[in-house]
Amino acid sequence: MSEIKTMRDRDMQKVSAQQSVMKVLGKIVVYAFLIIMAIIVIFPFYWMIISSLKEMNEYRRSVPTLFPEVIDFMNYVEVFTNEDLLLGQLFYNTVLVGVVSTAGGLVITVLSAFAFARLEFKGKNALFAALLATMMIPGELFTITNYQTVFMWGWIETYRVLIIPFMVSVFYIYLLRQNFLQIPNELYLAAKVDGCSDLKYLWKVMIPLALPTIISITILKMMGSWNSYMWPRLVANDDAHRLITNGLRTAFTNAEGVTDIPVQMAAVAVVSLPLFLVFIFLRKYIMKGVSRSGIKG
Amino acid sequence: MVDSKHQWKAWLYLAPAIVLLLIFTVWPIINTLRMAFLEGYTTAKEANPFIDYEFTVGIGNFVRVIQYPGFMTCLQNTILLCVLTVPISTFLALLIAVALNSIKPLQRLLQTIFFMPYVTNSIAIGMVFAAMFNMIIGGSARPDSVGIINNVLEALGFEYINWMNAGSEYWANIVVMVVYIVWNALPFKILILLGGLQSVNKQYYEAARVDGTPKWRVFTRITIPLLSPMLAYVIITGFIGGFKEYSSIVGIFGESMGPVGNDYALDTMVGFIYRAIGNQEGTASAAALILFAIIFVVTMINLAVSKKSTHY
Amino acid sequence: MKVVLQNLTKIFPSRDKKAGKEVVAVNDFTFEIPDGKLVGLLGPSGCGKSTTLYMISGLQKPTGGRIFFGEDDVTELTTENRGIGLVFQNYALYPHMTVKQNILFPLQNLKGADKMTKDQMLERAYNVAKLVQIDELMERKPSELSGGQQQRVAIARALVKMPRVLLLDEPLSNLDARLRLQTREEIRRIQKETGITTVFVTHDQEEAMSISDMIVVMKLGVVQQTGKPQDVYDDPTNLFVAKFLGTPPINVFDGCVKDGKVYIGQDKVLEISGVADQDVTIGIRPEGFELDPAGGLTCQLSNVEVMGRDVSVVSTHPASVNPSVRSIIDADNKVDLGAGIVRYSIKPHKIFLFNKETEERIYFEVK
Repeated sequence: MSEIKTMRDRDMQKVSAQQSVMKVLGKIVVYAFLIIMAIIVIFPFYWMIISSLKEMNEYRRSVPTLFPEVIDFMNYVEVFTNEDLLLGQLFYNTVLVGVVSTAGGLVITVLSAFAFARLEFKGKNALFAALLATMMIPGELFTITNYQTVFMWGWIETYRVLIIPFMVSVFYIYLLRQNFLQIPNELYLAAKVDGCSDLKYLWKVMIPLALPTIISITILKMMGSWNSYMWPRLVANDDAHRLITNGLRTAFTNAEGVTDIPVQMAAVAVVSLPLFLVFIFLRKYIMKGVSRSGIKG
Repeated sequence: MVDSKHQWKAWLYLAPAIVLLLIFTVWPIINTLRMAFLEGYTTAKEANPFIDYEFTVGIGNFVRVIQYPGFMTCLQNTILLCVLTVPISTFLALLIAVALNSIKPLQRLLQTIFFMPYVTNSIAIGMVFAAMFNMIIGGSARPDSVGIINNVLEALGFEYINWMNAGSEYWANIVVMVVYIVWNALPFKILILLGGLQSVNKQYYEAARVDGTPKWRVFTRITIPLLSPMLAYVIITGFIGGFKEYSSIVGIFGESMGPVGNDYALDTMVGFIYRAIGNQEGTASAAALILFAIIFVVTMINLAVSKKSTHY
Repeated sequence: MKVVLQNLTKIFPSRDKKAGKEVVAVNDFTFEIPDGKLVGLLGPSGCGKSTTLYMISGLQKPTGGRIFFGEDDVTELTTENRGIGLVFQNYALYPHMTVKQNILFPLQNLKGADKMTKDQMLERAYNVAKLVQIDELMERKPSELSGGQQQRVAIARALVKMPRVLLLDEPLSNLDARLRLQTREEIRRIQKETGITTVFVTHDQEEAMSISDMIVVMKLGVVQQTGKPQDVYDDPTNLFVAKFLGTPPINVFDGCVKDGKVYIGQDKVLEISGVADQDVTIGIRPEGFELDPAGGLTCQLSNVEVMGRDVSVVSTHPASVNPSVRSIIDADNKVDLGAGIVRYSIKPHKIFLFNKETEERIYFEVK
């Protein structure tokens, strides 16, 4: 094909020098943008911490200090001793509810995911499809009736009302089932040939292989309990059973509606600390779990 | 798959999940439909041992919800927040993800920082944002403290704004909410989009380089189309989350859902439903079904649009 | 456009910081690719052939040495300014674009004097599509094409801007055996028709031999030999090249030269001059054997594989480095399996001697 001739030779040396300058400039712009955005993103955390260390007088200044002149831990003392807040009780309630509902939820999730992934029974696909369909419905719709139900059963202001109703999540069953399905079925058949029972197989093979997903689910569920607000507020808003988020929102505001912000910030910092510890040590699992599941808590 | 003769075993494993889901998921769906279409339904009336109420079937609850003046405020706030926050957060997340994907040094550190807001308690950090926007009124005309955000504004030569204290204006309240919701929504979107970018085959970019494709053209013609499934995903989940906005507002404004003296100015659909629980179940159910319908329709529209624009 | 590689070197820093060892992917490569020729870079994986190709493309920067296109030094030029076309191993077709959009894409990037109108672009795209015979498929998406068709689209996309040099990275490795044969002829045809200097990388010696004007055999970053395929095959410079080229592969024996005679084990196979007495490694091409009742080489017969035109005789010999000795002889010759042994004389130009230590070729004269 004669009309294809090679590209006209061009003297591009100068262009290439110009381009490398542009490249460096581009890099500077990219880094500047990212660093500014990063500062904006972490600023609230910074502000929370330094505010919690300020005395009220310093906090009220018209020109704020970016670092406290006097580091004052009194706010933290106040958080731990405040008789309205009852931080110890809040922590206890939240951890108890979180641990029990996560553990229970995990057992149920693993068992049902296993049944859906590996066992054969009539109506399996229809049942699974029906479960998936419920995921489309906003949770608020369930709350109305669930409130009636727990009210009727006299569960209001108990631990079980916080633990049981939202213990199972269809989404996690789905997530784990998908993970289980990736485990080659030959392993299951081989185990059957060797006379391994279903439960033993589940425990010895499936769970270890799906462990990253199970850890992700555990962390996300725990975080969910730690952050849950609406349902606990509705059904267990008494001193004995109140959860931490709920307690936090109403504390430190005096009768006139004026908030002691430094103390409040100290409380927020205390509540956020466990989350940050989890974040620092288990970041990998959270990020993996989130990118796979795409939900918050 | 093994043809299990012991079908009952499968059902045994499923039993706890099925029992809980029947009671707390399936029954509520049925019951919500029932309550929504019973005229003037309340639990109190139904449970009253002395009077045997006969509810008639009708759409009265829906009519009442829509006619209720507070509901329109809720709807308006919800839609406004959705329409503002989803595009802003998606666009910012896209920029950050693309920028992060183009660098090597500091990438992991920055990625970690950008993910931090995800691991927070939205009520608790909402209180921090409130502190940043909040003014502390003193004795004099100028507040003792105008809040760090206003300090920054003044340093840049602007006047301070009453963002959320008593007497603050609606648009200022909305700005506060948008800032907070966007900040909260970024990490998830960045994570998904960055994951998408990193899974794009590098050879597409090399092929484009061989052809001397300008950067912006690589971005619009290759990156965006290849990323479109993830973009569609974060936009859809963004809208679904946006229509359920509630706790972020409680975090900033408290249960009054508005600045002092203007309660419920920022109320949302979910807020409306929650307040009707325990006294107006018929209305709450109707409102919940409306919310579901809106989310359903918006998701379908999103899916239809994304099907047209995602090419593979 | 000829392409000149001068002392081209690429060193990768070690991934493992503790080990601290650098990897020399390409070591001091000097070669001139004549204008309009098809050149195959050949070698086992890790030999540096792909790195060389990527350095010619500009996607990787050489650590040392220079690259010239014609008289232009392009070493410092970025990829897009080199005017090359590159076909990737897995084609890298944009999955969201149709075949037509894929082919048009490079043209739409042209700037300044090279800028084209829409009609010109379309005309050019259709011409190239016709050249590679995919003009029927222009509206399809890559996912709707077979492997061979995707390959053609990739070539079309690389050719459409009329590159000065066309580079192909393992162009046939993703195709099945039948398509591979067909496509390599196709590549040859397209290259001939366009006359564009073309470099391709492969690990398959048959593929390289069959279509290249010249081949470059590489091993561990070092060029072993360059030349026309037949010349390299007939006259390998060392044992590696001799072993790498040819199917079935060359037969290798331990042997020695003594008093001008070449011995394989105890068998005297050839009389030569010009080589001092020493132990050597001996290579004999499968087609270098001739059935000869008086022949010097005696092997234990194990099997005869009939291939139609030829027969392949499989036997064993105690001095053979490989488990079996394989010869290819004309089917007219009858081999008696019952005899248990087979005797060969050796064609002198099909036997090569190599130094036992360096594995370099030892040249000799036939007496």
